[in-house]
Amino acid sequence: MSNDRERTWIRVPGMRTRIMAGFALGAFGLSVVLSFVTYELVKNQSIRSTQDAARRQTFAAANLVRSELSPPLPADMAAFLNGLDNPSGTLPLLYVGGRWYSTSLASEATIPTGLREAVLNGTAAFQRFNFNGHPELGVGVPLPSVNASYFELISLADVAHNLDILLVSLLAASALTTIAGALVGRWATSRLLAPLTETAKAAVAIANGNWDTRLVANDNSLIDLVSSFNLMVEALESRIRRDARFASDVSHELRSPLTTIETALQVMERRRADLDDRAGQALDLLGLEVRRFERLVQDLLEISRTDDGTQRVSLEEVEASALVLQCLRTSGVDSSLVNVSESLAGAQLMADKRRIERVIANLVENAKSHGGGVVGVTATKAGSDLVVYVDDNGPGVAPDEREAIFERFSRGKLARKRSTNDGVGLGLSLVKEHIRLHGGDVWVEPREGGGSRFALKIPLAKT
Amino acid sequence: MANRILLIEDDERIRASMRLALEDEGYDVLESPSAEEGLDIFSDNPVDVVLIDLMLPEMDGFECCRTIRRSSGVPIIMVTARSDSHDVVAGLEAGADDYVTKPFVPKELTARIRALLRRTRATEDTNSTISVGPIEIQPDAGEVKVGGSLVHLTRTEFRLLCELAATPGKVLSREQLLERVWGYDYFGDGRLVDVHMRRLRTKIEGDPANPTFVVTVRGLGYKLAA
Repeated sequence: MSNDRERTWIRVPGMRTRIMAGFALGAFGLSVVLSFVTYELVKNQSIRSTQDAARRQTFAAANLVRSELSPPLPADMAAFLNGLDNPSGTLPLLYVGGRWYSTSLASEATIPTGLREAVLNGTAAFQRFNFNGHPELGVGVPLPSVNASYFELISLADVAHNLDILLVSLLAASALTTIAGALVGRWATSRLLAPLTETAKAAVAIANGNWDTRLVANDNSLIDLVSSFNLMVEALESRIRRDARFASDVSHELRSPLTTIETALQVMERRRADLDDRAGQALDLLGLEVRRFERLVQDLLEISRTDDGTQRVSLEEVEASALVLQCLRTSGVDSSLVNVSESLAGAQLMADKRRIERVIANLVENAKSHGGGVVGVTATKAGSDLVVYVDDNGPGVAPDEREAIFERFSRGKLARKRSTNDGVGLGLSLVKEHIRLHGGDVWVEPREGGGSRFALKIPLAKT
Repeated sequence: MANRILLIEDDERIRASMRLALEDEGYDVLESPSAEEGLDIFSDNPVDVVLIDLMLPEMDGFECCRTIRRSSGVPIIMVTARSDSHDVVAGLEAGADDYVTKPFVPKELTARIRALLRRTRATEDTNSTISVGPIEIQPDAGEVKVGGSLVHLTRTEFRLLCELAATPGKVLSREQLLERVWGYDYFGDGRLVDVHMRRLRTKIEGDPANPTFVVTVRGLGYKLAA
């Protein structure tokens, strides 16, 4: 079922990612807009001031040219133009008497046609253009009194270079702002998600049985969440405790009548020989069922004790091999079937002897009632664990039931088909519970050559 | 002469069935539905073993145990509802020698009774005085003197001391003590040994918190310091 859900699940990025992305995007957008506005303002401002300066410079130069240009014309026009003492990056051009004069670096072809025509027609003008990929400003002044036109071509490369630097800086700032936005987003999410993280932790703690876990509201806006969470935990707790207490109460109430029944039964069994055949058979049936009933009540009591959390584990240090051998002896397993590995020599473990005895007894019982009896028991050391294998010769456990048989009142499909069923369905779940209390594990696997192999693993004491 | 058992149990049917089962085993049974009445019967009649249900109306089983212990070392078996609760230790502290848990099989109960009665009579074996340090044990008289003054021990405490005194300086495991004194197998409840050792110490040790005679050997058991 969970697979189906995973398949149809459309993956939406987590809240953390979304908020981070939101913050980053916001920071990016804002910084790009600000950068753009800044860039445009600076660009216009600097171009305008450059143009103004260029025009003033050109007009000043043009004045000078006009005053100097009284005939005869200077013999060396290039030297004359150079002598105008223009700032570097400025190329002067002069059109006089139907001829173009310039320093060696420029020619009239460089001047955009529109500008040239406007000036030659008697209007002062300027124009920005690109020459050889470099931005240039052309300014032209007609000098009608001397029948000439004066042009200056001024390089805007410096301005463009400065604007490029500005652009790069602004882009870098935008990138940094975006990253900072993402970081702020992450910080904000973790602040925002902190109560949820706390809630998740509390939920896990409660799932692990720490029923006194509660959330604390350290933020007014979270009081609702916290109080309803705590309310839910209390409701759940009281409900679970009530259920557990009910099971425990029921089992307790069964103790007294069961004591009377067992005691009276023993009195009757002493007189089995005095009964007629049919009454005797009936008494035997009664005896079998009372014993089974008693085991069920014992198991129920034990289960309810683990459920209401009042179980007491009295761990003591015992010798692993001795414990296993004693348990098997009590469970009536023939010693010829038992193989205790030498690797266990001297190994100790912290165990509740009574519980381990129940574990082994239940596994042996299980093998008897579902697996045709125990065919072998192996105790060995694996790593730092005691491992015990209980093998039977039964039909085995289907792969999809290998987990389920350790649940309460689960007997497996095969078991349900049996005519006599001694298992009460709690034995293996108790095994699991007892082993869990020892920090170990229990599982079932197929045995080589047929049947099942029940395995349990308990950590050995460190020497 | 048949051994006499005093049965203090408020559940009428359990009492009736137990009387039947115990009489089958050859015991003489006196019954009481309450601790108060049981104490009256106890003071008027010689009794070999007392069975007390811990859950009784009015005076509870613990108090009943303590009251009996003030005047007598008679073997007491308590009947508890749960083996893993504090009731067991509390009952043993109150002076019970052993316990059974409901629902119990009568065979189990009679096995416990027999073990207790054996304990009572085990003192006939030897009659020579055993001395370990200032402790003097006279098995035939069932008496123990520490530094010359008589101390009163219950049968169980006395048997524990005798077991330890038989091999001074040698460690006896809880399992060994459970088997020799209570007749339990490997899975007997170690708390029986621990609680009775504690009670024994309060009677024979100068400072029970720092015992010098009955010494605990961690992870192994107990020994009587030679």
